[in-house]
Amino acid sequence: MRLPQFTYHSPDTLEGVLALLDEHRDNAGVLAGGTDLLVRMKHRLAVPKVLVSLKHLDTLSYIKETSEMVSIGAKTPIIDVIRSNRVQQQAPALGQACERIGAVSIQHFRGTIGGNILQDNRCIHYNQSQFHRTGRQPCHKDGGKICYAREEADRCNSTCQSDGAAALMALGAQLNLCSSKGERQVSLDAFYTTDGIHPFDMQPDELLTRIDIPIVPGAVSVYQRLSFRSAIDYPIVCAGVRLVPDPDDAGCIKSARIVVGAMGRSPLFLAKVSQSLAGKRFDDIAAVAQAGKDAMNTAAAFAAHNAGAALPYRQAMVETMVIRALELAAAQASMKIAR
Amino acid sequence: MTDYSIIGKRMPRVDSRAKVMGKARYTADLKLPGMLVGKILRSPHAHAKIVNIDTSKALALPGVKAVVTGADTEGVKWGVFAYTRDQQFIQTEKVRYIGDEVAGVAAVDEETALAALDLIHVEYEVLPAVFDPMTAMTTDAEPIHEEFPNNINIHVNIDTGSVDENFKKAYYIREDTFTAPEESYFHGEPYAVAARFDADDCLEIWMPNGGPHMKSKPLSNAFKIPLHKVKVRKITIGGAFGGRSEICPADYICALLAKKTGCPVKIVFTREENTIATRQGHAMITTHKTGVDKEGRVLARETTCYMDGGAYSSTGPIATSVPFLSMEQAYRMESVRYNGYRIYTNKPIRGMIRVHGRGFACGLDTQLDMIAEHLGIDPVEMRLRNSRQPGEFTSTGSQVWSCAMDETIKKAAAAANWHEKFGKLPPFHGIGIGTNSVQTGFPMGIRGGSQSFIKFNEDGEATVMSGVVDNGQGNENMLVQIAAEELGLLPEDIHLVSADTETTSSDPGSYSQVSTFVGGQAVKNAAANCRKKLFDVAAKILKTDPDKLTAKNRMIFVTDHPEKSVSIKKTVRVALLNFTSVNAEGGYWPRVDMKREWVSNPYGQMCEAFSFGTTIIEVKVDPDTGQVTVLNAVACQDVGKALNPLVLEGQFEGSVAMGGQGGMLTEYHDWREGRCLNPTMLEYKVPLACDMPEITGIIVESVDPRGPYGAKEAGMSIAMSAAQAYAGAVSNAIGVYMDSFPLTPDKIVAAIREKRQAVK
Amino acid sequence: MQTIDITLTVNDQQQTLPVKSNDTLLEVIRDYLDLTGSKEGCGEGVCGSCTVLLDGHPVRACLTLALEADGCAVTTVEGLADEDTLSPLQQSFIDHGAVQCGFCTPGMLISAKALLDENPSPDRQKLRQALSGNICRCTGYAKIVDAVAHAARPESGCPDCHTKDSGGDHD
Ligand SMILES: Cc1cc2nc3c(=O)[nH]c(=O)nc-3n(C[C@H](O)[C@H](O)[C@H](O)COP(=O)(O)OP(=O)(O)OC[C@H]3O[C@@H](n4cnc5c(N)ncnc54)[C@H](O)[C@@H]3O)c2cc1C
Ligand code: SF4
Repeated sequence: MRLPQFTYHSPDTLEGVLALLDEHRDNAGVLAGGTDLLVRMKHRLAVPKVLVSLKHLDTLSYIKETSEMVSIGAKTPIIDVIRSNRVQQQAPALGQACERIGAVSIQHFRGTIGGNILQDNRCIHYNQSQFHRTGRQPCHKDGGKICYAREEADRCNSTCQSDGAAALMALGAQLNLCSSKGERQVSLDAFYTTDGIHPFDMQPDELLTRIDIPIVPGAVSVYQRLSFRSAIDYPIVCAGVRLVPDPDDAGCIKSARIVVGAMGRSPLFLAKVSQSLAGKRFDDIAAVAQAGKDAMNTAAAFAAHNAGAALPYRQAMVETMVIRALELAAAQASMKIAR
Repeated sequence: MTDYSIIGKRMPRVDSRAKVMGKARYTADLKLPGMLVGKILRSPHAHAKIVNIDTSKALALPGVKAVVTGADTEGVKWGVFAYTRDQQFIQTEKVRYIGDEVAGVAAVDEETALAALDLIHVEYEVLPAVFDPMTAMTTDAEPIHEEFPNNINIHVNIDTGSVDENFKKAYYIREDTFTAPEESYFHGEPYAVAARFDADDCLEIWMPNGGPHMKSKPLSNAFKIPLHKVKVRKITIGGAFGGRSEICPADYICALLAKKTGCPVKIVFTREENTIATRQGHAMITTHKTGVDKEGRVLARETTCYMDGGAYSSTGPIATSVPFLSMEQAYRMESVRYNGYRIYTNKPIRGMIRVHGRGFACGLDTQLDMIAEHLGIDPVEMRLRNSRQPGEFTSTGSQVWSCAMDETIKKAAAAANWHEKFGKLPPFHGIGIGTNSVQTGFPMGIRGGSQSFIKFNEDGEATVMSGVVDNGQGNENMLVQIAAEELGLLPEDIHLVSADTETTSSDPGSYSQVSTFVGGQAVKNAAANCRKKLFDVAAKILKTDPDKLTAKNRMIFVTDHPEKSVSIKKTVRVALLNFTSVNAEGGYWPRVDMKREWVSNPYGQMCEAFSFGTTIIEVKVDPDTGQVTVLNAVACQDVGKALNPLVLEGQFEGSVAMGGQGGMLTEYHDWREGRCLNPTMLEYKVPLACDMPEITGIIVESVDPRGPYGAKEAGMSIAMSAAQAYAGAVSNAIGVYMDSFPLTPDKIVAAIREKRQAVK
Repeated sequence: MQTIDITLTVNDQQQTLPVKSNDTLLEVIRDYLDLTGSKEGCGEGVCGSCTVLLDGHPVRACLTLALEADGCAVTTVEGLADEDTLSPLQQSFIDHGAVQCGFCTPGMLISAKALLDENPSPDRQKLRQALSGNICRCTGYAKIVDAVAHAARPESGCPDCHTKDSGGDHD
């Protein structure tokens, strides 16, 4: 399959990249590993006139730790995230998520963590060849006015199937975005629009440079996901959770973050359900079960039938994923106490 | 048992060296001087009239060398049978599925060719389309093919014994309906074809094929040129599974473009094209009504099967028969009535996949398990009570000369510890068995037999010419082994010229499991004839009778006095000095009832041999997610005789993966109005290394009296029985018999939840 | 369209090649260098038939721009053997019957090599994981797993081979 034509740049410096993005804006595409972008280009779902490669920006490939946070450069390959001790210790959910991305030889060496978060939303009616998309009306995301995934939908309900994003949101991550005009920080919670066509609240001249994951003493985190195959399979539903123990009573949950992924236009931080666990004990089975049910009931409404498996199944599995993630996290917490 | 020196040995395949070095050339790897890139314009509509095609803009694009449409063709229609010729290679009046060929383009490079496709303007008048066979039979809309009212393409009716009376005698009767959606091959290699016309106006063409002679004939018909002018060349093939056997419109379009431009042209399919525009497996809705006696023996069965055939006939009459045939071969039935309907829909064309018609998808084994449970009989015992026995006739009158079905069942059960496990496993842990039988060949008219030619070279090595093609299953190695065994040479002394229509005689192709039985037998006969010539010469040298000689390890020696010997090389040289030729030919034609016909007369000897297979699968089901983990797989087949156990095991293992793991757990096509939503293996879940269990393969040898060395077919009975074993294991684990295949996690969870609800 | 010169060290040979910006690494090695061992099975990074080593790491050549590989070392299946002498991995594939149609074999060998270069004695589960980015339709992976396991530990005979009933004289 042939890629469309474009002009290629691979600046040596961050400034160089930002200047090009500023110059070409909507016509430019950022090329990190390319494992998401190039597939879309082959299908002509994206036809940037200019590709700005991050090839030479090795300064954006690192994993650092301070007492407050683990910082990951946007261009860090997935494999480095998987193998990082810092990630394994401070943000295990992220490592677990990254392990499940595609397959070793697809993403892990070329794919980057930044590209993983910023990969476009997906839909089984949209991520298709040009041929597939002819002879029928284009859908919202394809420049048309209808949606094949949900009847009568007045907007696009494409699904965010990024493993990394769901885990990072559960971990309360912040993104650092740079443009030639400056720098800004945004929490992943606030990063998403409600528009499946342009899912990210990001300007065309902005570059993701860094992901910060706060270190919360004693916190445990777990990522769970479901797909039909052991690899090369995007999640059809996933859940990331982070539980923070009460410093005064280690058997007790001080705060929780429950995020459900692959069920909507962005990973869904379920604030109310998370809140319901505050003050509960880690081994409160009823509370966990209730949280699973509530998570399912909340998340189900967001999902459209566009991610391979039958929708009712995906919806039902939210409960299982959330409960499993919570149970595993609780088990980890009790192991920490034991130590 | 006869002591062979090469047959029966675990021999690494002769073709693997080139493959591990990356040197084996597949069609897409071919480069010919001046070669152009071909692309096909396909219909984006499921059903539409072609009102007008304007190619002028495309032709005007610099770099475009030719554009062809239906107007450029001779108008010949393709069909496997005279009564099923319903497919034009490029449509002229209407298109019948999303993917139907409308035009072809040849250009200097891919970008230009693709740009040219966009510039061809086709005006369509969209017609109502049908995507479901049951609707297709009742719709008032314009039929997909005028000549076939109600969109019924094929109806096979078989009726033997006193079905109605036997139902009255039955102790227990049940009726169940099973459904299965379409599936696809997902060969490693996407389809590709390269073609050129030479100085003598001969067409030279390369493509993955299931038999070169099966391609050359329709091409000669389509171009209205003599058969010798179509030279299908040998090329490495990246898998077939039945999906490369028929002529592909792309073959013709590529050749037509080559003819028009006077340049070589190559068309390489995208993965999506390979899925929608080659063939797929039929979707099926099957109802079995089965009556048994107290012991569980089948007295009467009535089976009705509706098969979604897609837009054209393909191998329709065969496909419509095979679900029945697998059943009648594997199991004894006192009486049976079968009605198979193949129905046209506006979807991609369904043909054979692994075997024609997906016998396993009809749920027969599941129903046997249900009956067994009702009668309190163990599923293994249930099968033993109904299994085919050697010497018997099938319901439609084929004699089964060799059959070790019982042995496959018993050995598989023993290896899988069936009796320690069945009924004794913890919840959500299950074990299941499937059994099946596959025919080795069937009546195919003049192309049913194979002929081979062997010549000795002066250096004592031999060149073997055979029409047999290797799709990846190891046929070349099989031919080499047979020739080496017969000639007394080593495998490295055998040089194959194969799968080329110019240099080899006609052959049925690696089609319907006949490569070894027919093609291998032809080589065996040719080699035996050649050896006879050698022995005549050697006898003179060794001053003995030819029938007292043996050839082995490049030597000919007196059987009872092995010290008296002469090398084959020397024998060849002596023969040549004495004006004696050391070439020979040989052929094999299966002794089948040539009057048997799929629709008009489905009775008589169907083929010469039948293979029998049993698979046992053990699984664990996650009751919350419905995900299935396969713990153990045992595959046991009566192959007649194992020519090369290493290759056979490979066939068994691949069959468990494709037929069972994929076919019964994850693989199916998803549609929206005739548009395939999962045309690539990203969304179509072909199993991966991590998904597969370790597999125990057990070879059973019944030594068929007619097969070469007793060999029959390898692997297909496993593919067919594995699916049923998977279904049985999952059903056993969750305690619900599933009737909608494949058993995806959503269906499994739903079944578990429904059962819990019912218990409450 | 304009072409840009890149330098690639392909199977230990350094070459300078003019490429177009939209050429993938796969197109360049297959079409410009005529190294057709690497296959295009899907073009979308799914099947793994195009897997090559880029500076020692397995990547999908169909999803790698040729320009991005500028200055890198590329190993394709053609680079595994030393002239006519096969690598132990290649030999093991042959001996264990791990090759059927052969279309996935080049990518499979590259993924296996990448694994063994990093982890010379993986257990079977690790091994299956490492090969999970490569789709094979013929073998059910059984003999491929055997072949790689054997290549990893040739000295131990064939304990990992699942093909018990060996009746065999192949190794
Ligand atoms: C077969 C296959 C299976 C896959 N399976 C999974 C899966 O299971 N789970 C999953 O999450 N993903 C999966 N992916 C998607 C993808 O491979 C990964 O998400 C990968 O991490 C993307 O990283 P990349 O660097 O290759 O992204 P790229 O393709 O380079 O970039 C992705 C997008 O982000 C933009 N971008 C990248 N970096 C930046 C930056 N620093 N600043 C601004 N914009 C940027 C790009 O312009 C592009 O739009 C799969 C892909 C394939 C081909
Ligand atoms: S959700 Fe609807 S609008 Fe969005 S990509 Fe899918 S079909 Fe198109």
